[in-house]
Amino acid sequence: MIIGAALLVGATVVILGACVLLVILVVAVRARRHSRNQRDEMLMSPLRSALITVASGEDDDGAAAEQLTWATGVSRVVLDRNIVEMLGKIRGVPADQLVHVLEVHGAVDAAVEDLTSRSSVRRARAAQLLGLARAKDTVPLLVTALGDESVEVRNSAAYALGLIGDPAAAGPVLAAIGAPERGLPAATAAEALQSMGVGISEVLRDGMADDNARTRMVAAHLSAERSFTLGLPQLRRLLSDDPDLTVRETSATAIGRLGRGEDADTLVRHTADTEPLSLRRACVVALGELGDTRAVPALAEILDDSDPRLAELAATALLSMGAEGSAALAGHEDDPAVRTARLLVSLQRASA
Amino acid sequence: MSWDGVTEGLRSLVVWSMDVTAVPVIIYFLLINTSLLLLIALAYLEFRAQQRRRATAVSWQGAGLAPGVSLLVPAYNEEAGIVMAVKSFLTLRYPRHEVVVVDDGSSDETFARLEAAFDLVQVPRELPHEIPIRAKVLGIWVPRDGRTRLVVVRKENSGKTEALNVGVNAANEPLVAMLDGDSILEPDGLLHVTRPFADDPTRMVATGGAIRPVNGSRVVSGRIVRVEMPQTWMPRIQLVEYLRAFLLGRTGWSRLGGLILISGAFGLFRRDVVVEVGGLEPNSIGEDFELVMRIHKKLLDEGRDYRIEFVPEPVSWTEVPITAKVLRNQRRRWHRGLWETLWAYRSMLFRPKYGRIGSLALPYYWLFELIAPLLELFGILIVPLALLLGVVNVPFAILFLVLAYGYAVLVTLSAMVVDEWAFHKHDRWRAIWQTIAASVLENIGYRQATVWWRLEGWWSSLRGKKHVWGVMTRTGFDEEQA
Repeated sequence: MIIGAALLVGATVVILGACVLLVILVVAVRARRHSRNQRDEMLMSPLRSALITVASGEDDDGAAAEQLTWATGVSRVVLDRNIVEMLGKIRGVPADQLVHVLEVHGAVDAAVEDLTSRSSVRRARAAQLLGLARAKDTVPLLVTALGDESVEVRNSAAYALGLIGDPAAAGPVLAAIGAPERGLPAATAAEALQSMGVGISEVLRDGMADDNARTRMVAAHLSAERSFTLGLPQLRRLLSDDPDLTVRETSATAIGRLGRGEDADTLVRHTADTEPLSLRRACVVALGELGDTRAVPALAEILDDSDPRLAELAATALLSMGAEGSAALAGHEDDPAVRTARLLVSLQRASA
Repeated sequence: MSWDGVTEGLRSLVVWSMDVTAVPVIIYFLLINTSLLLLIALAYLEFRAQQRRRATAVSWQGAGLAPGVSLLVPAYNEEAGIVMAVKSFLTLRYPRHEVVVVDDGSSDETFARLEAAFDLVQVPRELPHEIPIRAKVLGIWVPRDGRTRLVVVRKENSGKTEALNVGVNAANEPLVAMLDGDSILEPDGLLHVTRPFADDPTRMVATGGAIRPVNGSRVVSGRIVRVEMPQTWMPRIQLVEYLRAFLLGRTGWSRLGGLILISGAFGLFRRDVVVEVGGLEPNSIGEDFELVMRIHKKLLDEGRDYRIEFVPEPVSWTEVPITAKVLRNQRRRWHRGLWETLWAYRSMLFRPKYGRIGSLALPYYWLFELIAPLLELFGILIVPLALLLGVVNVPFAILFLVLAYGYAVLVTLSAMVVDEWAFHKHDRWRAIWQTIAASVLENIGYRQATVWWRLEGWWSSLRGKKHVWGVMTRTGFDEEQA
């Protein structure tokens, strides 16, 4: 009984003590944030005018940029942080001037060092800074960082490689998506690859044969976005055989955007009612996008499909195919799908 | 029998009850607190990761892989706020989204207001029947300008669940977001909750966002311009509950890969997956919970590789009840929904093929969510009785009470630290003191009342009583009221 009471008292004291500690912690977190914001504000106030002059492209004689290079100590750290934030939003001469300020401050060299820091946040920020500074010579280091144990660092490295835009990094970025246990998020990879110019078409084509479904999907999606017809045979294969439905739908959309006339047959094949409905719909939309009149008879048949959405999509596709497509709607004038498609097209034309 | 005899009999009964239940209750107390501590630890790990992500975030405007989203807005007699809500949904920052309003047989001017505001024109469209619908669809309208991505479906009244199913049928985009008609979304909310889909497009099937009470905040044109604490204690205490539920519970379960509940006030799903499982169950009281369980069951049965994730970033703001009557109805409904869903999916318990859902999440919900109010009620009844009859040591009982409720306050304070550290939505210092006070006051009356209401909900289900939805009285939010 005495032991039980002592335990109870002890546990109560511990719990109440922990409550008091947490209250102090809440207050401390807020107070620290407030004081840090005030300090940063104070340190930035003498530099803000010069920073805005440079960032807005009004520093014709370079005097404002020169003033920024004089910052030292904590002011320099806070200024560099502000410059990094701005570099994500500006381009051209102002960006070059701000990168020069970072170089004079030694921030770019420090970032190279920080890529091997123990802190994942430091490594990630270092990678971002190298990208924002367009430090091309650091591409190999950033490629290595794509395999970092921390997803933030992998993300930042891909972002930086996208900013630098060196197509030589496309292969490693695409491969990083499917890396076991250390995969690169597909969205970041796609954005980075989009900035790497036309030299990545072969990488995307090869990526469509990757074992990882996300890699294949990104490769298929980007092939369409960048109009890389080199990957068409792979896209056709993915549409027909890929085990992942999302990849098949992405491939159908891609073929619609960059396919050739003969691809109408491929797409038509996958509008059959044995295929998943979402894929059939994607193929019908793609046929409209492709605009090849060889698909007209197949689309006309779909007007009678039991799925009203599919029928409406087919009617919309036919309406985009000129006289031959419109003629195929004959006999279906009273179908709700056809009337809806006609009305929506006319509303869109009227507002264009 | 004499009064003394009755007292003695009662005393013996209380002593016997306490003897019999002492060990199980202490074991339960230890288990529930340890599991909460584990959830807090998991949530802490998740937030550390989230904080690292935020500290190193690069701008993402949804270009490239951002999937299109259909925002499904069920509306029943929402004439006061529907136009403002739709306008705010249409202007969210997102590259591709449409708004699908389903007017669930409103008897007020809901549709007329929409028709006038967006110059709607009826289209002869037939909706697909991918999810079977019982109520009759009366018509479909779109804006005459041909550009605004709005679809308005009118149907006979049959309830929110079926309105959402109609919305899924009408949706044109690959993702569907299920909202409450009066939800206020953060301008970047969609970018946050769709990000997991863009990062893992082949496996992600659903994400949930954090919900916060909007009561007391300043809202202008469907946007929150200043976050304030609610003006009365009842919604303040609910704010504390929301902090705990979203910042510790869901975050912890998401980290563990065992998220089984996505709030009906904001959830984002792959449309094809919702269709595949047959949509929301119209007869279910806890239709949001039931949908997520059905998705888990089907995908695990088929051995598919998939993910359901929680995004702790505040995404949606909602008005919480300010009267005991409405709160009672809500809690009865929630607990009834919990019981009916857990019972419906009891076959998943402890089956290896259901992984962490069957072995961890479901047993936890059975033991610590469903049964907890029953045991708490036992405590609420037996402790005062025992004190009255003088069969327990008074200081001992008080200490135990302080320990039990102190622990509850500790959990809330942990959530507060997380909120202050990661989101700090409330600027004023006063908000901190009010939240702390609410976390203490919650244990005096409020908690006991909700225990009773939850049990009422459970009991009415066991008796097979038909559920009456009731009306959530909204005070609404506009510049004047703010």
